[in-house]
Amino acid sequence: MSRVIVVTSGKGGVGKTTTSASISAGLALKGFKVAVIDFDVGLRNLDLIMGCERRVVYDFVNVVQGEASLNQALIRDKRIKNLYILAASQTRDKDALTLEGVGKVIDDLKTDGFDFIICDSPAGIEKGAQLALYFADEAIVVTNPEVSSVRDSDRILGILQAKSKRAESGDEGIVEHLVLTRYNPKRVETGEMLSVEDVVDLLNIPLLGVIPESEQVLNASNSGEPVILDSESDAAQAYIDVVDRFLGEEKAHRFLTAEKKGLFKKLFGK
Amino acid sequence: MRNIIDLKGSILSLTVLSLLSDQIEDTKQAIARKIDQAPDFFIGVPVVLDPQVPLMDPTFLALLVEYLRQRKMIPIGIRTEDDVMIEQAEYAGLAIFPLEKVKKHPKKAVEPKTEMAQPGLKTALLVKSSVRSGQQVVAKDRDVIIMGSINPGAEVVADGHVHVFGKVMGKVFAGASGETTAKIFAKQLAPELLCIAGLYQLSEDIDPAYQTGFVEVSLQDNKLVFNTGLLG
Repeated sequence: MSRVIVVTSGKGGVGKTTTSASISAGLALKGFKVAVIDFDVGLRNLDLIMGCERRVVYDFVNVVQGEASLNQALIRDKRIKNLYILAASQTRDKDALTLEGVGKVIDDLKTDGFDFIICDSPAGIEKGAQLALYFADEAIVVTNPEVSSVRDSDRILGILQAKSKRAESGDEGIVEHLVLTRYNPKRVETGEMLSVEDVVDLLNIPLLGVIPESEQVLNASNSGEPVILDSESDAAQAYIDVVDRFLGEEKAHRFLTAEKKGLFKKLFGK
Repeated sequence: MRNIIDLKGSILSLTVLSLLSDQIEDTKQAIARKIDQAPDFFIGVPVVLDPQVPLMDPTFLALLVEYLRQRKMIPIGIRTEDDVMIEQAEYAGLAIFPLEKVKKHPKKAVEPKTEMAQPGLKTALLVKSSVRSGQQVVAKDRDVIIMGSINPGAEVVADGHVHVFGKVMGKVFAGASGETTAKIFAKQLAPELLCIAGLYQLSEDIDPAYQTGFVEVSLQDNKLVFNTGLLG
């Protein structure tokens, strides 16, 4: 059974694409057949982070609009077997995607035997983001430990509950997971950042993992390599844990510090 | 100079038809049964539709409007914030009423009409989860019980009391239609805004002493009164 997973956040720049790239690479390393789709039409980034920007001939929009076949557009990753990327178009906008077209691409990927279909959502709550989450079975909500990001994630969780195919058809709702990125325990201790407890407390969904703030993330992005492959770094370790937990393994959370209370209230209570 | 017309806002009482099923045939039969009990009563009655379930069938609204007209009722609008339904409503010639309260004026002139007595029990609206940012819960003519929290950016509106098992961080309106005895009960308060029967208070005007632990908020002498001693 294929699982369709949307990686979403509401707010921009929190690490959706980094997380999509690392989780898909991590799942493929475990031997699963994985497709990762960039839904951010007009602002495509996934191909850069995956290091395949020079190999994009046909993109997601071409497939949706019937100008290319899925097999022509799927880019095979050079490092990892079973990992395929469907890049977004840089020259079009989000209106180029249709619900039927996206649905067909996802159905075709399921027929092709993909175990995981990862949908990298654009920021915002408009059409692009809604299309990315519509067909999802599970959602990974990426949040930074700051008030505005948490608020936006809360909003997108409401949309997941209301506007997805699963919600509309009255099936079981989307399974929700939280990934907290750019976590800096030092700044949490000094009260500059929300603690993991504060975030979980408000969003009230299961925590899949905490990714520490790390220079390696930027380096990896710039060099076109999912950070999970840089196995020395904390961020990679954290993403490996995320993938393991996602596949059902019980693992203690790492890269956190002692809990801190009262900050949430200080920031929200005003 | 005499005014030819005069445009004024007015709050009218309308009959609301709550739709609890998305099956058109079931709905039609239920309406027929209701009308048969008092055939004359429903003739010419303006009705606002209030779907309580998502209406997946794109023809549902059109068929229902047609049927209501056949039965001599006058469907004038629908209370929804769902984009799909709004689009359908526009095709069906229905005015859109927002969920919290009637803001837009119906397009047709409407005779003031008193709400008919609702037979049977009307229990509180029960929300089993948290209300998330951007979501709005409206309990018309009844209480609401929120079993989770009201997150920042969320709104809960009730004509009756509001009970919250979690923490209030969004906006809460109790007694939204003017019921001054309505109360707000919450396990913890850190709201953006509290309002009872139109009288509101912002978080910064609420003594921090009331922002921890179980609290009851009521309206006394045009002031919101906080009571934390309820549970001893």
